This record gives sequence, structure tokens and C-alpha cells, in this order.
Amino acid sequence: MSSAPYGDQFYDQLRQLVSEALLDRKMTSSTSTATPMKHSFARQVEEVKTPKSDINALILDYLTAAGYPNSAAKFTSEANLQPQQPTSAIQARQQIQTFIHKGEIEKAIQALNELDPSMLDKDEPLHFALLRLQLVELIRTCNNSPNRDIMPALKFAQTYLGPRATTNPAFLEDLEKTMSLLVFEQNDALDASLAALLKPSLRQEVAAQVNKRILEGQQQRNEAALREMVQMRAWSEDAVRKDGKKDLPARIELGLDGEDADKQDGAQNGHEPMITT
Amino acid sequence: MTNPFHYGPSGYNPDVTLTGILPRIRSSYASVVSGSNPNLASSTPSPLNRLSYLLNPATESASDLYSLHPSRTHDMDADNHHDQHSTEVGAAYLGSRAPQLPPFSRAFEMFMKYGSSDGEWSHMHANMGFFTPSYLQGSTYIQKLEEAYRTKESQKEGQQLPGVGLPSIGAHASLGSKAPASHLGMTYDLIERTPTFEDDGSIPPLPTRWNKDDKYGALEVSVDGLEVKYQGSRQNPREQEHEVCGIRADHPMPSQAGVYYFEVTLLSRRRDETTVCIGFLTKNVALSRPPGWEPDSYGYHGDDGDVYSGGNVGKRYKDTFGPEDTIGCGINFRTGSVFFTKNANELGVAFQNVKGKLYPAVGMKKAGEHVRVNFGQKPFIFPIDNYMNKEQEIIRSAIAKTSIEKLVSPPINETELIQQLVLQFLQHDGYVETARAFAEEIQNEKQALRIDSGVPVTGINIKDDEDAHRRQRIRRAILEGDIDRALRYTDKYYSHVLKDNSHVYFKLKCRKFIEMVRKLAEQNSGTSKKSNGHSYDDIPNEMDVDENGFTDKMEEDGLDLQADEVDLLIETIEYGQALHAEFKDDPRREVGKTLEDVFALLAYTNPLQVKEVAPLLDRKGRVAVAEELNSAILSSLGKSSRSALENLYGQTSVLLDYLRDEGGPGSFVTIRSVIDKIPKSQPF
Repeated sequence: MSSAPYGDQFYDQLRQLVSEALLDRKMTSSTSTATPMKHSFARQVEEVKTPKSDINALILDYLTAAGYPNSAAKFTSEANLQPQQPTSAIQARQQIQTFIHKGEIEKAIQALNELDPSMLDKDEPLHFALLRLQLVELIRTCNNSPNRDIMPALKFAQTYLGPRATTNPAFLEDLEKTMSLLVFEQNDALDASLAALLKPSLRQEVAAQVNKRILEGQQQRNEAALREMVQMRAWSEDAVRKDGKKDLPARIELGLDGEDADKQDGAQNGHEPMITT
Repeated sequence: MTNPFHYGPSGYNPDVTLTGILPRIRSSYASVVSGSNPNLASSTPSPLNRLSYLLNPATESASDLYSLHPSRTHDMDADNHHDQHSTEVGAAYLGSRAPQLPPFSRAFEMFMKYGSSDGEWSHMHANMGFFTPSYLQGSTYIQKLEEAYRTKESQKEGQQLPGVGLPSIGAHASLGSKAPASHLGMTYDLIERTPTFEDDGSIPPLPTRWNKDDKYGALEVSVDGLEVKYQGSRQNPREQEHEVCGIRADHPMPSQAGVYYFEVTLLSRRRDETTVCIGFLTKNVALSRPPGWEPDSYGYHGDDGDVYSGGNVGKRYKDTFGPEDTIGCGINFRTGSVFFTKNANELGVAFQNVKGKLYPAVGMKKAGEHVRVNFGQKPFIFPIDNYMNKEQEIIRSAIAKTSIEKLVSPPINETELIQQLVLQFLQHDGYVETARAFAEEIQNEKQALRIDSGVPVTGINIKDDEDAHRRQRIRRAILEGDIDRALRYTDKYYSHVLKDNSHVYFKLKCRKFIEMVRKLAEQNSGTSKKSNGHSYDDIPNEMDVDENGFTDKMEEDGLDLQADEVDLLIETIEYGQALHAEFKDDPRREVGKTLEDVFALLAYTNPLQVKEVAPLLDRKGRVAVAEELNSAILSSLGKSSRSALENLYGQTSVLLDYLRDEGGPGSFVTIRSVIDKIPKSQPF
């Protein structure tokens, strides 16, 4: 069809438009003013461009890698991004993590084997970590039961953990430590390293370890870039302070709470109890 | 004019036919020696010289390829020079001296080039202008250097007319006085346009060539500045008694790079003892003394294989070196240690606690010595990239060990800190739905982790934030290209924002014009049955909506569409005039510039396919406008315009800059490298 759809009149108008724009262009430039009170570090930070594309990519990467399928899906739609992984893949990882968080290790192992039947065979330490957590959970159950029947835990240890522990000194040490939990009565004051075994952080650790391992298989990396970014921030501040050559404010605030944006919501401050949604 | 010799554009690839007759082990060697080698041009046998006269009648003599020592006259033993070398080049033909052949052919190429079209001029220029040493690829230093270089280049454009008589630029003042009269003279200027950023202050340049104005003795520097030759001048016997003739590079080694490395190849084929010393020194050290003999001077000497620093008593180091050896010199600014390499083998630490503004340097004691340097214009023979990778890995693993818990006070655990950063960002930027979903998923996670069911889990309340909703509505309108809707909402909810932020208002108005042009262009490309608009689009789902809308209409009736198109065009022009009328008195320079840019879009039938202007139409522009407006609204509400995550990004960037001073650990890591690790979305 026509390759020059615009008529002469159009070009006249265009010419006029462009020439007017050229003529009227004034060479004065606007100046921006910086608050003189600010620390030079803060001013430099303000000058750094923080591309939204980078920030959005970091967020989506985190939601995907850490295993928040609904958030990742919402974010791709709200921020107009391409998903990094199909929702189902993120869901599969989230499901396994949730089982581990809940202490349902058997279910987690089952789901993991469905996802990748060879993973646990190939990764002995991971397999051991899961079985050891399962033992901890059995001990917890036994501690909480009124008659305190230690037999299920003992049997499990002998069947699954004992044979494996002999192959690796680190396994053996972990197993011995875990078994000593059985020796103490429920109300005994446990030493810190033993008490730690009964805390939810062990579940969190194992869940994260499993998630990393699955991610490695899927994407050749095992961690959200956001975490490395935050670590880089912490490391660089430490290094600059240690160096002592540059002047830094006494404290560099992230602005998570304090003066920040949606402070009125009270939603940012994770330390305080808040209403459940 | 056909060139009988094969040569690669970069001069690096070893000639295929040559490597065929070379012993395998030599091939890498040949590649180092090859490259534009003007010296050998002057040593070519006379038939070629005659050819060069034919190609470049204005050329005075082949020896002009050297920038001459001021005291040296043009006709000085030029004939001797040629005779002496012609037999050697003859030998090269037989293959026994095969490594010399590629430079020979390259020399010929130079003649071909200078006589040829403009296209090749610019090609030449591109090759010589900016280079990235392989080991600095991706570093913040090189990125900043390149930015500064590009800025400078674009400033030059328009100020300068291409052609003979270019004013010479850069620090090489002597060039200005030397009027380029011939084709060869002109190449001087082109080649001299190396990156020099003295006036930019903050980004120190890389060494790019030997500085022919900073030498001692009868040294000749090749036209590309990479070769140095001790031209034994019998007229000046006094010089021969001097300890050395030395020369410095044009710039000191930049500590911001973290590591700096260069290689020097000894080209002379004298059979007796080499007297070349390779090292680095500060600007003030006398070049009449071998590098290493003076304070602030360091060197590795070929004759005894010792290293020297600050005195003439050597320290036992490694082998001696001589003809055809390639010696590398590396400095690690983070550790302050220096190592040398010989023919790609690392020789170990030579010096420690080295710092300062140090210039690469060579010194030579005897006439006839001849070296070529590689400042990173070409690949190095030593795998310096591996060395750099190891250095980067040291820093990366230090980072990986860093605890982040103390970033907030009181400290909280890592998982929670990152979750808060994400949640705060989502709310700050008005991603309401995502924030809600995320809060719920975190909540479920905490629920699952609960060991004692008696303890209630504290919830996260995502309050129904009216502001966040409004901001999200406005953002969505802009992202969909509906600027009118965005303006309407903004006016309704935040009427003062547009008044107080005239630059944002202006951008929105311009974006509306751009969207109109975009629509026109899409229709137009649809009419001509060529919808190439895809290539400018990275959001397929959104594209579908747009495209379908138009496609449907089109199928109904092509003629009606033509009418629509005219209507839209008229509408666009009318809007453009109104826009112009509204802002024509605006004193801000960027306003005028932007108006000019956007109006120019109308000059193209299909601006989407014109790569110079297509970026203006890109949908990414919508994101930028949307975010600017969002920030303005936030500021007007007394909220920080940046989320905590953005603060963190900016802080990290500045902190890493601090750590790049003096070659600190910040030279080895970049934010970009972290972002680049994010997997690209794959089709599934």
C-alpha cells in the first residue's frame, strides 16, 4: 500500500513545528539544589541511578527462587514482567519446603523423589540432613507424648541413620548429637547446641538446602541474587569502615522503617505483633 | 590492488596459511608479533616501498612511519636501514623466520588501508580508539572509562569535520605543531585519538602507547605507539655510554582496575646478550637509568634475570630473557604485589608493597634493541583472565561469608530481613496485589514453622492502602499507554503533584505524543502488511492486546482504516501543536531538546523501524515515566521517594566506589555481575 501516507500539508506543518521548536529553544538550564545538611555519603547515594528494571528483576528473582509462587505470579502481572519459571515449578518447590517447615519429612522426601528420583541418591549429605531432621521430629513427638516412648525414634535411627553415619565422620557426629537428645528429660536444661536442634531454624535450614539443590538442577544457580546483593551491601560497609579512609555516617539506614514510605501502615515493622490477615 | 597476503581485521588471528608452515608451538607467538607492525614496513624490501609510493604519492618515505626523534633527520641512513633488513625479510619468505611474516603482511595492509575508502578509515579508528583489556571486561572501572570515552567522542562529533587537517586532540601536544600534510600524516591524528580523560578527573585512563615525548636517548616509537627501537646513532657516541635509553607509557597504571597487566615482546634478533629492562616507575624517575635503579622505580632485567627496586643491587629472581621472549608484568593493587611472566609462565612475586602512580616503562642499553608492547589491545599470551578470576573469587567468597543480620537495628535473621526488604518495596512502589500475596505466603510459612501450636503467629497486616491502590491505578494506565487516564487520575487524587513537578508533567505530555505516534506507526505498519513492531516489544502479552485491536479493525475494512489513520494523524499534529504552544516558552534546555526529539518522530513513515528513533517509542519509556510520577506522588505525600531496597542498591554502589580507590577490593566486584546472574526468563 501507500508508503508515504502523509500529504504535503502535513510536511508543511511538521516543518513549521520543528523549526519553531528549534527557534524557541532557550539555553538556560535549570539547576537542582541539594540539601546542604546531608552527609556527603547520603548525597552520593542519592545520585546513584537505581534502575527499576534491576530492582524489579531482583524482586521477581527472589520471589521465584525462594519459592513464593503466588507472589511471583502477581508480580509478573502487576509489573509487566515475563515469569522466570512457570508457577507450577515454583509451587512444587514451595510444597516441598512447606512439608519440611511443618516437620513432615517423609512427605517431603516423597515429593522430592517424584520431582527428581535421583537427587537424594546423588546427594548423600542432603539425604542425611533430611533423615536426621526426621529423627529430630520423631524425638520431638516422643518428648511431647505423655508416656515418652522412645522406641520409634530409636528404631528409625538404627534403620536409616546408623548405616549411613559410618560412611562419613560428619554424619556420625551429627547423629551422636541428635541421639543425645533422647537421653535428656523434657524439662532438662539442654546446652545451646542441643537446644538449637529443636528450634524451627533447623527445619528452615534444611528446607533452604533442599530448595537450593533443586534450583541448581533447574537454573545452574542456587540462590536469589537479592541475597548476594544484600550481602554485598553489608560486606562493603564493613570493608569501608575497616579501611577507615572514607567518612561514613555513624549508621547507614536502609529506611525499612523510620522515615519511610508506608510507615503509617505499621506493616513494615516486623518486630511488633500485628493483626493476622 | 589486491593484497596477496591474508590478514585478519584485528591482526590477531594467525594467518592460516602461515600457521601451516609454522611449527605448532610458534603459532601463538606469531600472533603476538603480528599486528600492525610499522617497523617492518620500513624494513620491507624495496619493491614494496615502490608500491607504497604508488599507493600514496604524498608519502615521503617509509621511515616516516616512525615518529622521529626531534634531532633525527629524515634521510638519515634510511638506505642502510632497508638493506640491512631486506635479507632478513627474505629469510622470512623461506619460512625459517616465519613469525616475521605476519607483521610483514600487516605492514602492507597499512599501505592498502591508507589509500582506501572512508569506511576503512573509520574501521581503523574504531580499532585504535577504545579497547578493553580482556581481564577488565565487565569491571566498573572499564565501564566508567568507556562511558567517559563515549561522552567525549560524541562531544567531538559535530565540532570536527572529517578529513585532512584535523586538529590533533589529546595530551600529545607535539602533534599539534606537526601539520599533517600527507595521508600518512593524517593517520597520525586518527591513531592519536586515544582515550585521554585528564579533564574528566575521576576516571584515570589506561596506558595505551609509549609516550614518545617522555623518553631518553635515541629511541624511535612506531606510529601506533606500541613499538620502541633503539636506533644506534653513531653521530651521538655520548649516548652509548649512558646506562640506558628508557621510555614511559602515556598513562600510569590505573589502580581502580584492581589488577594491571602488560606484555613486552623482544623483537630484535641479535644473538648477543639482551639489555632490555622491563618495569614501571613514577613520572619523575629519570629515564636514563634502568628501571629499578632509582627510587620509585621497579624493573626486571634481561641480562642477569634479577629484579631491581630502588637501587642497583639486584634481587635474585628467575631466568634471564632475550630475543623473542615475551615478558609480562602484572601488578595487583589490592595486595601491592608485582609478578612477572615469561612466555606465559608466571615467575612469582617480584616486589611487594608497591603503590603509587606508576607508568609502564622499558629501558635498553644497546643499539638495535627493539620491543613491542601489548597494553591489552590484543589478547595476552599469559592467561591473565584466570588470574583476575581468582582475585574476584577471593572477594566473592568473602562476600558470601558476610552476615547481613546487623544491617538493621536490632538485628533480625537473614530470611526475615530479606522478606521485609521485598515487602517494603512492594508496598512502597504500589504493587498492592503482590504485597498482599507475599504477606500471605510469608504468613503461611511462619504458620508451618510453628512448633508450639499454643503460640499464635503474628500476622502481617497489609492495610487496604488507598494511596497504594491509586498509585497502582495510575501506573497501570501509563504502562498501558493510556496517558490521558493517568493524567485524569493524578489530577483527581493528587492535583498538586503535576503542578509542583512540572518536569514530570512535561514528560507525561510528551509521552502522550509519543504514544500517538506509536499508534500511527503501528497502524501504518499494519496497513503495509509488515508488522515488524514485534521486534521493539518485549512484553508479548501486552502486545497481543494492542495488535489484536488493530488487526480486527483492519480485517473489517481497509479503507475505513485509512480514514482513521488520517484522523489520528491530524489529531496527533494538533496535539503536537498544542504541546508546543504550551511549552515553547519553557526556559529549561532539556524541554526544548525533548520537544525537538519527539516532533522529529513525525518525519518518519515508520519510526518503529528507524533504529535511531525507535528507542524513543519503546515501551520501556512508559516504565520510566510511570516511576517518575510514582516518586513524585510519594514525595508529595511526605514519603521517601525510594524504597529501602533502592537505598540499599545506591548505598552499595557508593560503598563499592569507595573500595575501588587505590585498587581496593571494590575493583573486583560489581553490582552488575550480581544482577546478571538472574536467569533470563525462558520460554516454557
